[in-house]
Amino acid sequence: MKNIKIKLARVEKGLSQQDLADLTGVTRQTIGLIEKGSYNPTLNLCIAIAQVLGKTLNDLFWEGNNEKD
Amino acid sequence: MKKTKKPFSMDERTKLIGYRVVAVMYFLTIFAMQCVIMYRQLALDQDIHMYEDFAIIFVVNVVFLISALLYFGAIPIQKLSLKAIALIYLLIIVFGSVFTYLRYNVFGSADLSIPQLLNKLLIIFAISGLLMLFFVVFTLLGKWRMKKELEEE
Repeated sequence: MKNIKIKLARVEKGLSQQDLADLTGVTRQTIGLIEKGSYNPTLNLCIAIAQVLGKTLNDLFWEGNNEKD
Repeated sequence: MKKTKKPFSMDERTKLIGYRVVAVMYFLTIFAMQCVIMYRQLALDQDIHMYEDFAIIFVVNVVFLISALLYFGAIPIQKLSLKAIALIYLLIIVFGSVFTYLRYNVFGSADLSIPQLLNKLLIIFAISGLLMLFFVVFTLLGKWRMKKELEEE
């Protein structure tokens, strides 16, 4: 299941995948895979992403609001 | 934005992949070692002294692997009962006895007499007991560690 919400929030903030990766301390590939829905991040990483993007965990990760692939 | 790109920066995902690969390769290595030991012992009929170093590394490795799994809670033991300990002890003894019998009386050339087999059985009892003691101690230490961790604020 793709995580469109992270991608939208990232683009809204004007960040590239590499920028978000640098700010959260992970690799660009990890961010790409999270957005693609191929990797489930740990709660710590979810919180870091949410903090950088200025969103809540619900905004970014709540499945009920995610668009299905 | 300042880029802090390192040539070998690891994150949680790459570490997870690394752990998985290492675990699989470790399992394959241990399995291969076991096969080599069995082949030398049963097919080539080599004396234990010819691969003693190999066997010691293997045994120590496996014993510490199981102990570490018990200590860090990878083998979830909810309740340590005497019945379960006795059952595992019995299983180890049965396995050791069958292996010894096969080693000497089926695959080996030297047929052991009943007193000799009983003598071997005593050794199996003692070693199995030590192994169980080792595992129980590590399980209890693991439980104590977890309890302390949960108590900490």
